[in-house]
Order: sequence, then structure tokens, then C-alpha cells
Amino acid sequence: MSAVRQSGSGVFSMNGREWSLLVACLLAIAIFSVASPHYATPGNAVTVLRNSVELLLIGLGMTLLLAMGGIDVSIGIVMGLAAIAIGRIVGADGSPFVALVAGPLVGALLGCVTAAVVVLGRVPAIVGTLGLLGVYRTAVFALLGGQWLSGLPSSLTDLLATTVLGIPVPALVIAVAYLTVWLALRRTPYGLHLLAIGNSEEKARLSGIPVIKVRFLTFVISGVLTGIAATFYVATYRNVEMSIGSTSALDAIAAVILGGTSILGGRCSLLGTVLGVLLLRILQNGLLLIGVPSLWQPVVTGVLVIGVLGFEAVSNRLPLTRFQRARA
Amino acid sequence: MRTLRNLQGPALTLALLCALWLIVIVGLLALKPSVFNLGTVTTILQFSTILALVGLGQGMVILAGGTGIDLSVGGAVSLSAIIAMLSLKLGLPPVLLPAVCILAGAALGALNGLLVNGLALLPFIATLGTFFVYSGVALAVTGGAAQSGVPGWLLLWGRGVVAGIPVPFLTLAIPCFALAGLALMATAWGRWIYAMGFNERSARLVGIPVDRVRFILYALSGALAGAAGLVSLAWLGSGRPNIGQNLELESLTAAMLGGIAITGGRGGVGGVFAAVLLLVTLKTGLLQLNINTVWQVGIVGALLVFVLLADRLSQRWRS
Repeated sequence: MSAVRQSGSGVFSMNGREWSLLVACLLAIAIFSVASPHYATPGNAVTVLRNSVELLLIGLGMTLLLAMGGIDVSIGIVMGLAAIAIGRIVGADGSPFVALVAGPLVGALLGCVTAAVVVLGRVPAIVGTLGLLGVYRTAVFALLGGQWLSGLPSSLTDLLATTVLGIPVPALVIAVAYLTVWLALRRTPYGLHLLAIGNSEEKARLSGIPVIKVRFLTFVISGVLTGIAATFYVATYRNVEMSIGSTSALDAIAAVILGGTSILGGRCSLLGTVLGVLLLRILQNGLLLIGVPSLWQPVVTGVLVIGVLGFEAVSNRLPLTRFQRARA
Repeated sequence: MRTLRNLQGPALTLALLCALWLIVIVGLLALKPSVFNLGTVTTILQFSTILALVGLGQGMVILAGGTGIDLSVGGAVSLSAIIAMLSLKLGLPPVLLPAVCILAGAALGALNGLLVNGLALLPFIATLGTFFVYSGVALAVTGGAAQSGVPGWLLLWGRGVVAGIPVPFLTLAIPCFALAGLALMATAWGRWIYAMGFNERSARLVGIPVDRVRFILYALSGALAGAAGLVSLAWLGSGRPNIGQNLELESLTAAMLGGIAITGGRGGVGGVFAAVLLLVTLKTGLLQLNINTVWQVGIVGALLVFVLLADRLSQRWRS
């Protein structure tokens, strides 16, 4: 049970991984501030936070998926499809409240499709979602007909750009989402089941955990969170382009892995994911500002994924230090 | 139907693929009879060469089990072509171009093998990472521009046609598949691949060098991707940084359609060959019917999902 006990850091207590991520964030900010005069401005800080909104939500779902030993590489295009649905409603001057429901609904539906293929069809998640990625990409094209959805009315934006008690709505929604998932992980059987499946699906099944139900539910949760992300996307940019979400899946996987959630399952950290998303966005924004072409972004993200996993693999193999032995 | 039900394994796969292929051909004939001439056959085989080489590597990696998969193939094709063209610009003797292209691919594949073997990373996450690195580097160092300057003698090889069959297909795709088929059937290495795919634990216990075989297979997949990059150079006359786009999906679909089990240990390269021809015929047919190429990726993706589900269903049906 050790894996379960050390799972999910508390909201306020931070483990070593999370401290080092925080330090990495601050270090990156310090370096970029020296390297670029445009970096350390309030406007840029807002930009970085603004750019993190969708990834924080998608990353939350991806944290659950990876902790369960699953993955979904189609998640970015799922956001695209949800965004198209929202955009069509907003574009037709529909009620912004209908648009608010449409995102999570489309996300949940597509989550059900993914779960039907991967969980009920017992197909490896990576292969199944790669196939669906192809299908969804064509669907985005077919729905948009090769044209951008642009110049959408600001009804949704007006609704979501407000503040409640001085807190911006996106921040509030993200906080609620993370708190809900954290409670579900720590205070309900769902969390224990999820991590047990991540540790060993076979053992989880043998000990009577409803593996299929938990896995199905997790894909749907991830879909709903992605639908919410799509709502914020449309509200902010007020357009939907053909390439929407093409790097979201890799970004989310990178952020989650950076955050210390184990891809082998059984361990997850929500705070780590938040810091992972921030670090990724800080790096991407900073590299852009010091003049690295954006074409290098997927390279940096890919290197981060491999680097972090490689570092973990090597450090797991090294003999324990005296300090670690004393703690063990 | 009785005979069909009695067919097992590779024979069943081949029969089903032939049936599917006939359906595609008949459908095309009905919709656009003018499609059928020798030129179309040449085009199909020309397109097939790249996918066949990549699909062969992909198939062998999956066959060896251990959740093996190589998602980086598309990136490796692009990057090895770009590396070859850039080193030509830096003063490499043109004679060495083919060797550099294939060696670059092999090195990229060896890096995958190192990550999967040496660091024990999960293959899908390691190769997903390298996919973005390889394809990203290919795009970033060129700024997305095609690299021209392929020597004339290479174009002669790449664009040559003998009796309607493209020369690269004759001299590269067919020999590679023949060799791989022979190796799988008639050599100890081939049987080792099946053994470790079927049950890795027992393969280790009987002394099969599982790690070494796996490393070589990833390097081989990379080398075949490099060869595919070479074919693209010799055919198109320039190194395009996005030439490998969607190849990870297409090669996976080809391997799965060709009857290779996603868990490894079951299937053969003959099926992959047939599946490649089927896929490319389908794609070429759609192209001839003036259907936007964006539909291709959706159809290939749907085929992949369908094949995986059908495989599960047929297992349940048999038992």
C-alpha cells in the first residue's frame, strides 16, 4: 500500500518534486527576465496565466488518465470539436448559457466514444486514441469546411471575463475543478480504485474493484474537463481555427509527467500538474520572447518528456543516499 | 462460408484483405472507370514503397511484444531525409547520400531502442516523445522549406519504372519484405522475435537475448524509416520536412490490418505487405475521386479502430 499512501500530495504540503518544480519556475522566470526586457512585465504574466487555462483543465484529466495507466492523444482535437459546437451556438446568437452546457456535453459524449473503444473494446489506449485522433481530425475539417470560425460575438466572453469577489472566473472554475478531483481522489473509493488500477489492473480486478466502471468514468471526466477548456478557449479567442488543439495532448502529457505523476500508474500529484503546466508555459513563452522560433516548441516539450522520464529512470536505479535510507 | 471459417491466422487475414481490396477496386471501377490504367498501378506502387518500408519496421517492433510500438517513424522519415540533404549541403560526397540517409534513420531508431531498453521507458511514451523531437527538429532546422539538390543519378533510380513497376519498389521494398519474411520463418532470430512477443518472461528464461533483439528491432525500424526517407528524396527530388506526416498512424493501421497482434507474437510480414497495398489503393482511389486528402487520415484512423475492435470481437466469437 505504500504507493497509495504516498499518492497525491496534500493541497498545502509539498513534496520534493513539487518544491523543485517551483524552484525551476522561479529560476526560468529569473533567467528570462535578464535575457529579455519584454519578459518581466505585468502584461506578460497575464499572458502566461491566460495561456495556461485550457492546459490546466486538460492536464487535470490527463493526470487521472496517466495515473490509471491510460492515455489519450486525441484530447486536443476533442477540445477542437467541443469548441466548434460552442462556436456554432455563439455564432448563431444562441444563449451563452446554452453554450456553457454544450462544451462539457460534447466533451462527455466524445469521452464516452473513447471509453467505448478503449475500455469496452479492450484496445490499448495509445493505439485506440491514435485512431480516433485521425477520425476527429477529419471531423474538425468536415465541420469547419476548411474555413476558420472567426469573429464570433462576445456574448460568451462577456459572461466569462467577469470576476466574482475579485477572482477571475477561469481561476475560480479551475480551483473548483482541482478541489473536486482532489476530494474525489482522497475522500472517495474512486481515488483508491484509480490508483490501484494504475498499479496493476489485474490485481485490481482480482480484488473486486469495478475496473471497467472506473476506467470508463475517468475517460468521461477527462472529456468533460476538456469541454470546459473548450468553453474558455472560445470565450478568449472568439475564433476556432483548423489547427486547434494540435499540440494540447503532448503539452498535457509533458506537464503531467513533469508534475511527478507516474506514467506507470499508481502515483499522481495534482499540485505537480499545476506547477508542470506553469513551468511548460513559462518556458514556451520565454523562449518565444528571447527569439526562438515557435517551430522549436514541440522539440522542447518532447525533450522535456524524455528528459524527465530518463532522469527518473536513472535516479531510481542509483543506490539510495544516506538521507534517503534514513527516511525509508 | 465453411471454408472461410476454417481458415486460420495468416491465411484468414490474407483472404479478408483480398476481399476488402476487391471491394475497393470494384467500388472505384463503378465510380470512375477511367482510373484504371498502368499509370495508376505505378502510382500506387510508388506511394506504397514508403509505407511498406515504414510498416515493415513498425510490424516487427510490435511483433516482438513488450507493448512495443514505434510512434516516431514519421518523424524519423522526415528527419533522416533532412539530415541527408543538409549534410550534402555541408559538403558530403553525393555518393554517400543513400548511406547517410539510412544510417541517420538507424541512429534515430537506436535512440528509441536505448530509451526503451536502457532506461526501461514505456515504448509508447518514449517514441511519442521522440516523434515530436524528430519531426519538430526536421521542421525547425529547415523552417519548413523543402531542401532541393538531389543528385541526378538518384532521381534516375527513384523515378525509374520497369514494366510498370517503380524501381524503388522492385529493388528496396520487395527485397526487404522477402528478407524479413525469411528471417522470421527460417532463422533463430525470427523465432526469438515470435517467442518474446508471445511470452517475454519465458523467452528470457530459455536464454533468448530479449533486450538485444529489441534494441536491434528499434534500430531496424529506424533504418527502414531512413530508407523510406531516401525513397522520398529520390522520387520527389527534394527533402520535405513534413514527408513523414501521418506515417505513424498509417504504419500502425497497416500492421494491424496485416494481422499482427497488438500484444505481439502473432502475425507475419506478408499480411503487412497486402495491407499496405490495400491502404494505398484506397488512398489513391480517394485522391482520384477528388476527395480532399484530409479525409484520408480519418478513414485510416477509422480503419485502425475498426480492425482492433474486430480482432477483439473475433477472439470472443471463437472462444
